[in-house]
Amino acid sequence: MEDIVGGWWDRLITRVAYQGHPEAAVTLAEVERTAPVFFRAMGGDAALTVRSAVGTEHGARRRWLERIAGTGDRVELAWQDARSLYLPDVIDHFPDRALNRQLYFWLMALAAEARAGTDWLTANREATARCLMQMPGLAALYRRLVAAHLKTRPDPARLHGAEAAWEEAIRAALASPNETSALPAGQAACQPVPLWLHPTPPLSGQAEAVPRQDGEAEAEEAARREARKRRRYRAQRVAEDTRKNGMLMVFRAESLFTWDEYVKVNRHNDEDEEDNAAAADDMNRLSVSADATTRASRLRFDLDLPAAAYDDTPLGPGLLLPEWHWKQRRLVEDHVRLVPMLPRDARPAGLPERLRAPARRLRRQFQALAPERTRRRGESSGPDIDLDRVVRFLAECGSGVRVGEPGLYQSWPPGERSLACLLLADLSLSTESWVGDAGQVIDVIRDSLLLFGEALSATGDAFGVYGFSSIRRQEVRFQVLKDFSERFDDTVRGRMLAIRPGYYTRMGAAIRQATRVLESQPAHRRLLLIVSDGKPNDLDHYEGRYGVEDTRMAVREARAAGLLPFCVTVDSEAGEYLPYLFGRNGYTVVTNVRRLPQVLTSLYATLTR
Amino acid sequence: MNAPVSDIVRPLADVPFYQPVAEECTLFEAAWRQQLPVLIKGPTGCGKTRFVAHMAARLSLPLFTVSCHDDLTAADLVGRHLIGAGQTVWCDGPLTRAVREGGICYLDEVVEARKDTTVVLHPLTDDRRILPIERTGEELVAPPGFMLVVSYNPGYQHVLKTLKPSTRQRFVALSFDFPAPEVELPVLMSETGIDAGRARQLVVLAGQLRRLQGYDLEESVSTRLLVYAAKLMMAGLPPGLACRTAIVEPLSDDVDTVAALLAVVDTQFDQG
Ligand SMILES: Nc1ncnc2c1ncn2[C@@H]1O[C@H](COP(=O)(O)OP(=O)(O)OP(=O)(O)O)[C@@H](O)[C@H]1O
Ligand SMILES: [Mg+2]
Repeated sequence: MEDIVGGWWDRLITRVAYQGHPEAAVTLAEVERTAPVFFRAMGGDAALTVRSAVGTEHGARRRWLERIAGTGDRVELAWQDARSLYLPDVIDHFPDRALNRQLYFWLMALAAEARAGTDWLTANREATARCLMQMPGLAALYRRLVAAHLKTRPDPARLHGAEAAWEEAIRAALASPNETSALPAGQAACQPVPLWLHPTPPLSGQAEAVPRQDGEAEAEEAARREARKRRRYRAQRVAEDTRKNGMLMVFRAESLFTWDEYVKVNRHNDEDEEDNAAAADDMNRLSVSADATTRASRLRFDLDLPAAAYDDTPLGPGLLLPEWHWKQRRLVEDHVRLVPMLPRDARPAGLPERLRAPARRLRRQFQALAPERTRRRGESSGPDIDLDRVVRFLAECGSGVRVGEPGLYQSWPPGERSLACLLLADLSLSTESWVGDAGQVIDVIRDSLLLFGEALSATGDAFGVYGFSSIRRQEVRFQVLKDFSERFDDTVRGRMLAIRPGYYTRMGAAIRQATRVLESQPAHRRLLLIVSDGKPNDLDHYEGRYGVEDTRMAVREARAAGLLPFCVTVDSEAGEYLPYLFGRNGYTVVTNVRRLPQVLTSLYATLTR
Repeated sequence: MNAPVSDIVRPLADVPFYQPVAEECTLFEAAWRQQLPVLIKGPTGCGKTRFVAHMAARLSLPLFTVSCHDDLTAADLVGRHLIGAGQTVWCDGPLTRAVREGGICYLDEVVEARKDTTVVLHPLTDDRRILPIERTGEELVAPPGFMLVVSYNPGYQHVLKTLKPSTRQRFVALSFDFPAPEVELPVLMSETGIDAGRARQLVVLAGQLRRLQGYDLEESVSTRLLVYAAKLMMAGLPPGLACRTAIVEPLSDDVDTVAALLAVVDTQFDQG
């Protein structure tokens, strides 16, 4: 099999004297920011991230191709798997720059329409037909793309046997995607079709022969795809972490899979037990068999726990909080110990240079927002006349109804808004993952907290900022970054700068504590803003349903206490569980993590408008 | 009072066009017959205002519309004394007029009004159906024709602004959403006279853009914006430009999002 494949590609790649048009090249970077939005609008899976087919993180593919080809020639095609949509890094197929750019959009539309289950040619032809039927504008573009592409394809009359037959079939499918036709017999190396998706999406450097006609191989492939899907790697979390190689990366166990979804984990069967310290201990070091049906490729990874010396400073022995046990349908009292902490090594610090300009802008915007909303009518003194009341007063004087103590002025007393906001940020280990050149999620969260503080201190609204992570029920770490009573000053900024990702996400307990803190604020409207990057999870049963149910209960308790819980998440799969936790209008998803700071502050302005 | 609708339905020419989506017309009429106040919730531009105008005309009722805002006072609804030539005159507010004339009082975006303003609605929305006017000492009893209708947009931007449960629970509620393609298509055609082909392209475009709601757009394209785009096309503008002006730019200020939305428009209206 390997031989056939290698030979196929070899002939393919070396035979094709690739003629690009570098002067008209368009790079993925140029469409990178518009691509995810466009792909979603086409109906593409919102959870997929868009990636380069040969980006640094996928260097393996390029090396593999180059190895096979024995040259540096590239054939870049698009494909998608359960995590990502891969697009060519550069498109220079056509002499016309606009056409090269549009090819990116065509490929995304096609990928969104692609269905598994048939052979490569039929799948591409059918997906094309579906696209053209729904999108007349795209159909016009497609005709231009095909016309330009056909000029670069070999003339079937000059090919022989299966090769000629395949070339004919491809041309026919390109020209009239609505017409079914029988697949040619036999195998042949065809010139790649840049308008179509990859015939053999590279899977960790393996490929299969194409076109495939063997039903069994088909089924096997489908099963494998299913398995991959079930594992549900989270693209954002399987981070571009350069510190470790290949699959042996260090990150939170939950980010690889969810227990419920993946069964081949060697662990104790402890679903129903109250607590099982041994099992939990075991889980600090997990052995996972990646796929039992294929070669026993076993992954092993350690959880990245910070050394004790770097640990944060606990404030007192901690508080006991209840937790909701969904199977028993009761609140288990004193089940969780929450420890308020200060980040260690926090030194007073000014706002980092790069945030100064945005901070100034935000302060101006938020100052402008504040006074307008605090107008108070019917004052006995103030800078403006309350015309309504003056008219009424005069009218009443005239009609002799009654004349009380008239308040004929309007004023803008400070702090009249009567709004308190508590920001609770997830600082669990998953925030360590990378978001391209923006650094890690935690960096974006740090910037967000700092800018949020700047903006809110301009409004004069009361606010507090806290962070949390957890290690089982014995230790929910509640980081006090800015207490309600503290000013937003360099001490606070220093603490925000010192936050580090670590451990797990026992969200319920953190929300309960935040509720207690916010409840004691006298404001009329109290907003509990939660910034998260994933599902609730922790080691001791707090994964899957248990954690979700406890968090949901904690959110309901917050509501019952008269608070307004709202969640901002950077998890693109959040649509699966957040509506259940926060209600349909109780959350928002930030798809571009880098925009979190802007989104968070403008969200605050919108919510409190 | 229990006359079947057909007796009082006006000639269709006078009734503003409204394309029913589900059972909302029947429900509204039943509520009116039973003297129940109605709450309509739904995203902006999905036809709430049009629906109320349509029903008011169908039932031959005068319609008094108030757009609520946070400076709206009870006096703005009920009425106030004005100074005339040497004397003061009492002037009914829209709510009072609707009660006196037995029409529909429609409070648009009711969550924008302050809570102390909405409490004046309470005695009108329980079985007493009365409106006490403090300043004149009057107490009006609403005639059978009177109906109170309120609407709001429950999007997440408004989580801090909700109705008090005690206000909410006085209404029967209808939930609106953007209409399905087969409803939106005739709406576009009859509102603007656009041909079926381009109307369909606009409706499919709307479907594509509505997938972005909650991800890239706070709220996605409304029927109202589609109507605007169709009108610009009818005025002779090229479709791409019409969509850009009426749909893409109103939806987002973010440069990248705008670029992506334009690419989506291109999938429906080719610009060569
Ligand atoms: N079912 C429908 N039948 C006829 N026209 C409709 C319908 N739905 C929407 N429209 C069109 O959409 C436009 C906007 O509707 P309307 O003004 O009623 O929205 P709305 O829901 O009141 O919005 P907002 O919450 O912003 O006030 C109408 O002018 C009309 O052209
Ligand atoms: Mg309206």
